Amino acid sequence: MTTALTTRLSSAPQAGVDLLRIVRINEEIKSVVGVAFKINIMALNAIFLAKRAGTAARGFGVLSNELRVFSQDLRDCMGALTGLIHGCVNEVSLVLQDLRHTGLLHQAAVLSPQSKAVGVLAAREIQNEQHTRRLASLRKQLKRALEDAFQMVELGGVLAKSAKIEAAYGQSFAVPLAQVSGEFDNIVEEIRASLESLRRSAFFTGN
Amino acid sequence: MKTTKTIFQDGNHKWVAIVRDPEKPNYLIDTNEYLITHGGQGLLLDPGGAEIFPAVFSALSSEFDPSALAGIFASHQDPDICSSLALWLEFNPKMRCHVSWLWGSFIPHFGGSAETFVMIPDEGCDISLDGLILRAVPAHYLHSSGNFNLYDKVAKMMFSGDVGAALLPPGEDSLYVEDFDKHIRHAEGFHRRWMGSNEAKRRWCERVSQLDIDMLCPQHGAIYQGANVQRFINWFDELQVGIVSG
Ligand SMILES: [Fe+2]
Ligand SMILES: [Fe+2]
Repeated sequence: MTTALTTRLSSAPQAGVDLLRIVRINEEIKSVVGVAFKINIMALNAIFLAKRAGTAARGFGVLSNELRVFSQDLRDCMGALTGLIHGCVNEVSLVLQDLRHTGLLHQAAVLSPQSKAVGVLAAREIQNEQHTRRLASLRKQLKRALEDAFQMVELGGVLAKSAKIEAAYGQSFAVPLAQVSGEFDNIVEEIRASLESLRRSAFFTGN
Repeated sequence: MKTTKTIFQDGNHKWVAIVRDPEKPNYLIDTNEYLITHGGQGLLLDPGGAEIFPAVFSALSSEFDPSALAGIFASHQDPDICSSLALWLEFNPKMRCHVSWLWGSFIPHFGGSAETFVMIPDEGCDISLDGLILRAVPAHYLHSSGNFNLYDKVAKMMFSGDVGAALLPPGEDSLYVEDFDKHIRHAEGFHRRWMGSNEAKRRWCERVSQLDIDMLCPQHGAIYQGANVQRFINWFDELQVGIVSG
């Protein structure tokens, strides 16, 4: 028997599970992207508020500019994540389609082992292999992009916490500044928690 | 696995019926596939659904080299007709699929590329198989709105797609219609419900009556042979179709 005939077809349920996991990751990323968009508006608000507070909130002003840069970086980062996740969904669906075709060709080859089915099955397997490799590479890229996003959000958390401290020195603006920086901190924390759970998805750990 | 039966042969000009798979699950409608060979080339008529591909493929390849299939003739667009298209193309990516222009952009959802499809105009056309001229005969609205039969003048064979189809009960699965009256009861409900137009049916009966046909080969059920061909045409001409209760 050729290697093509002895192929394990047991990867079919795995591809199905992967597809479900990617769909869930996609949904989570979509909600994170939505939240990240809110951060942009908040950062703008913080800058205006700092301008109004003037010298009383100089430290906060510097931080709010940093937060604005952070929110833009975060948006770019989310764009990259979205692109990668779409690539993964596409590759997994191709792998699922490959598996269905390979299964049917495999049955044909078993029923008529002398026929061309064996050769065609072997050619199909090479293509399957390419799809599987592409998926593995995208999975790695996505994992790295998530790590980068996570690091970035940790930095954002530090910025938000520093802004909270600076807000206390805002004299008459202390209350609104504290409110803005507090909201910022909450949102960054929310994104951090989401990314944390995404990093731990079985899609990356392979269980 | 399905079995192959050579139903016409003159040298390398053959009609092979690929029929009756004992292992086919009951929830899939039983289908007949036909292979016409001439010279070194083959044309597969209504190759069937993806699920039954292994059974059809293995039966066919016991008779014929699947990579020598020049084309597929798809009588219409149904999944039991050609949802296996992508799998057949793996054996010969240059294979052509002849189908009504009406379905030219629908069937590619089953596979193939822009080069795969040869559109048949409403009035029908000739299809050459290594010099053998086959005729795509219009059978629109019977049941599909873009539907063709395939006539082989030399062999006097007519592939009639869903026209003449019968849903045979287990045990009554002979390849040829033996007792017409008994057989036609299994065809009646199908024709009344699936066929959409009495007008189209009338025209088909007139058109096909003028052809010299030894065998009328449907995609489901048994083959009408000899006098049963005209008997079927007369019966169909009388039948009121396009009827649904409720
Ligand atoms: Fe049909
Ligand atoms: Fe059919």
